[in-house]
Order: sequence, then structure tokens, then C-alpha cells
Amino acid sequence: MAPAIQTRNLRKVFKGRAAVEDLSLEVQAGEVFGFLGPNGAGKTTTVKMLLGLTYPTSGEASLLGKPLGSLEAKRHLGFLPELFRFHDWMTGGEFLRFHAQIYGMGQEATRRRIPEVLELVGLLGRENERIKGYSKGMQQRIGLAQAILNSPRVVFLDEPTSALDPIGRREVREIIGHLKAKDTTVFLNSHLLSEVELTCDRVAFVDKGRVVQSGALEVLLRERLEVELRVGMVNPQMLADLRRYAKVLHHSPNTVLLEADNEAVLPFLAQTVVNSGAGLYALTPRKISLEDLFVQLVKRKPL
Amino acid sequence: MRNVLLMAQFTWREALGRRLLWAIVLLTLVFLALYFLGLNFLLDSFQRRAAQLGRELSPEQILIPNAVLVLMGMYIVNFLGSLISVFTTIASVSGEVDSGTLQSVLPKPIRRWEFVLGKWLGHLSLALPYLALLALALVYGSYFVTGYLPPDPLSAVGLMLMSALFLLTLTLLGSSLFSTLTTGVGMFMVFGLGWIGGILGSVGAFTRTPLLERLGEISSYVVPSDQLWRGASVFLQPEVMLRAQDATRGNPFAGSELLSTGYLLWVAAYTLVVLVAAVWVFGRRDF
Repeated sequence: MAPAIQTRNLRKVFKGRAAVEDLSLEVQAGEVFGFLGPNGAGKTTTVKMLLGLTYPTSGEASLLGKPLGSLEAKRHLGFLPELFRFHDWMTGGEFLRFHAQIYGMGQEATRRRIPEVLELVGLLGRENERIKGYSKGMQQRIGLAQAILNSPRVVFLDEPTSALDPIGRREVREIIGHLKAKDTTVFLNSHLLSEVELTCDRVAFVDKGRVVQSGALEVLLRERLEVELRVGMVNPQMLADLRRYAKVLHHSPNTVLLEADNEAVLPFLAQTVVNSGAGLYALTPRKISLEDLFVQLVKRKPL
Repeated sequence: MRNVLLMAQFTWREALGRRLLWAIVLLTLVFLALYFLGLNFLLDSFQRRAAQLGRELSPEQILIPNAVLVLMGMYIVNFLGSLISVFTTIASVSGEVDSGTLQSVLPKPIRRWEFVLGKWLGHLSLALPYLALLALALVYGSYFVTGYLPPDPLSAVGLMLMSALFLLTLTLLGSSLFSTLTTGVGMFMVFGLGWIGGILGSVGAFTRTPLLERLGEISSYVVPSDQLWRGASVFLQPEVMLRAQDATRGNPFAGSELLSTGYLLWVAAYTLVVLVAAVWVFGRRDF
């Protein structure tokens, strides 16, 4: 089966400035994929190219094995834009019926599907109100509804929870879980790394329009941990010995911060300190978070 | 094709949903009522004046004032029709781009040309019947009030529709290229240009200045709206008026010469090229 999304050396230049430098990535069908990067890294431009809203300057890309922007590809897409604005003079129901018509969904399918998605996004019973009167969060919900209306095979969600409260966020996580259960590919753009950590199978970090690292989330984060040691007195011999087991990130007279590859080294670290005769007051292992990884990968260079 | 009709239908629903249609219908009724009321009073006062002088106006004598009043009415109808064509279309594409609503439509299985053509069809199916109905209401309403019917109102309306369609299509092109504000200002200037060009031409004809006449002619090809109105006005004037105009020349609000088939073909081809350009531009843009 063709990958859900595939790009090779994708590049987009706006007026001489590259928004996306050279992007190659592959997302397999059924994956929940997190697309992460700092502001201006080219995330939204990438999504717009994949959706056929913007044309690449060079490079190749395909969606479900079909060329970008082709009707066959678009039929199986769903998209929730970051700056969601919809035809707000319509009621929620009219809005969804209109989009169902663009998808070419039949009357029967439309009648069945609309209550389903309304229920899913928590707007059932509000479909006869004009979108204009919806709160920001409700507008994002109706946007989510139109993105999954056609039971798409690939859904692009650009900051899908930006306007939602914590409960709404949890519901969106549940919806993503629901999509995943139906083997839908989800391409998630988000700054909320805790959320990405909870939902994504795989992530790619982009910076300046290039993928700087990608991989399965559990591999990227597996067992890598930071260890904080509180000791009587740090001495050079102790540091040298510790370096045999882990990377020393930082040290002061009483503390040492280490990055270890796995938990197996913890006893050795303790032993090293004890053997050095310094006295061990605390050894605190802490799993590295996605946020730590993000900051490490895209440390901003001075402008 | 299904999507073209869908977008056209959407345009209608938007006009209804935003209560645009009702506003237009209501204001139009006010305009027509005022016009007929004014027409009635004016003719009444003519008759009264004549009676005070101990005379009665013969049908020949009342013919010219009647014809002038209908012509003035139609001039305003044409102006309204042009304005409605431009203003209803001004945001058709740019509004969707500016507000971001386009981003949820274009990734769906619709081709870009279907989107633009649908918008075009939707707007023209709103503006042109409006113009035709308004013009016919004015002509036949006046006939009812005064008993005067212009020689060939249908041909006149046909040319007015052609002018409105050209302006509408040009507005669509602007809207596909620029923001709503830029399109609005641009179209206003284009419209004014055609108008000034027409006046220059008629002043040139009046003063027999070849350069001005030439400028007027060029502008009639670049912005045909004014020239089309002049062509339409020929069908609205009785023989006497046309002959009188031939003698005086240079009326900036009406013409006395029939438009050539070649000119009409030019306008048709020009409109088509503008439409194709709108589709092309929209198809290539990044959003």
C-alpha cells in the first residue's frame, strides 16, 4: 500500500525566501503523525502544499499515492485549518450539508453522517444555530466536524485545540483516538507537546523547512533520562568516573545533572558517587519529555 | 459541472443568508415607486402649465418629455445594474481568501475552475435578471403611466445586460487577483474611466476635435460599458430625438448611432478573455 503521505525534497520559495527548504518525509497509513517545529518552521506551508492550496516550487509529493491536488486524493482528505473561519451566515447543519455536497456524498449518506459527526464533536442539538453565534470553541468543533465528515483516510489538523478548554482538548484527543481506531491517518500540527506526546505514534521535528529528526515517539523518548545527583562534594575524579556511564550536562559543587541512555546505569551512578567517598544525598531520574527534546533540537541560533 | 452549479447555488444562498437579496429588492421597490411618482407629478404639472396657457399638449408635444424621462430612468437603471453587478461580485473570491473560508473549501474535491466559474454563474444569475427585471419594470411601468413605449426596449436591455456582464466578469478577475478593497477601488476607477472616455468622445464630437474623439474611441474598446449604454439608448429614443441629436451631437448621456456587429463581437470576445483570465489566475494562485 502506498504511504498516506510522501514528500521528497519538497521546496517552497516565497519571493526569494524559502519557507520550506527541502522537506522529505513519509507517513504511513493509519499513523497519528505529529509535525513539530518552532513558529515559522514551514509547518503550515507544508500542510498547504499537501492539500493543494499552495503549489511547491520544486520537489515531489503524493497523497495516498496520488498527486497533490488531484480529485482522487482530495476525496479522501479532511482538513481543519489553523485560522479556522467558516461561512458564518450558515447554521452548523447547513454548513455541514454544503460541505457534504462538495464531497459528493449522497443524500442518504449525508443524512446519516451529519448527526454522527455532530455527536462526535459535541455539537448535537446546536446544528440549527448560525455559526456566527457559536463561541470560538464551538467554531473549532464545527471545523473538526467538517474535517471528518467524509470519513477521510487522511486528516490534517492544524492546531486543532487552540480555541478549546481542557475538556475540549481531551475530547479532541478522544476523537483522534477514534480516528486511529478506524485506521485514519492523522497529520497533527501542534505546539502543545504534551498533547502530541499523548496522541502521536510518530513525530518529525522541522526547523527552517527541513526535517531535523523523525521517528517513533517511543523510540525518541525511550529510556532517555536526565538524572540529578545531590552529593556531599563534587570532585574531578567523580565527574570523570560518572562520564563513563552518562553525559554530564551540568555540575555545581553539590549537584550533577546527567543524561543517561537507559535506566540500567542508575545503580552504577550511585556506586560511583559512593566509591568516591562524597556521600549520596539524592538520585533523581527524570524521563526526558518531548519538550526537552524539542528544545534541544531546535535551539534557536541568534538572529 | 455539478460543482459549478453547487457554487452558483451557494452564491444565491449567501445572498439570501446575508439578506443582501432582500436589501436590494426593497431599495429597488423604493426607487421604482419614487420614479413613477415623480413621472406622474411631472407630467401632471406639464399638462397643468399647458392648461394655464389655455392649451392642451398634443401627443407629439408630450412625446419628447416622455422619452427623455424614460431615457433618464433607464440611465439610472443601467447605472444601478452596473453597480449591483460590480458590488455583489467584488468579494466573491477575495472575500473567501481574505476571511480564510476558502481554506476549508478548496482542499475538498472541487477543481479551482469549477469554483470560479460557479461564482461567476451565481453572480451573473443574480445581477443580470435583476437588471432585466428592473429595466422592463421601468419601461412598462412608464408605458402604463404615460402611454409612451420606446421603439425597441428589448434590444436596449440586451445591450445593458452585455455591459453589466462585462463589468461583472472584470470584477471577478479583480477579485481573483487582489483583495476586496483593491478590487473595489480598481473597478470604481475602471468604471469612471469608461464614463470619462465617453464624455471626452462626445465633447470631441461636439467640438470636432479629432484627438478627443480618438481617445473616446479607444476608451470604448478598453472599457466598453459606457459605449454599450450609448448603443442601448438608441433603441430607447423616438426617431425625432435621434435626428435632433445627430444635428447637435455630443450628448454625454445618450448616443444616436447603432453599435456595429464588429464592436459587439469585440465586447463578447473581450468578456470571454477576461473570464478565462480569471479562471487562469485563480488556478495558479497560492493560498
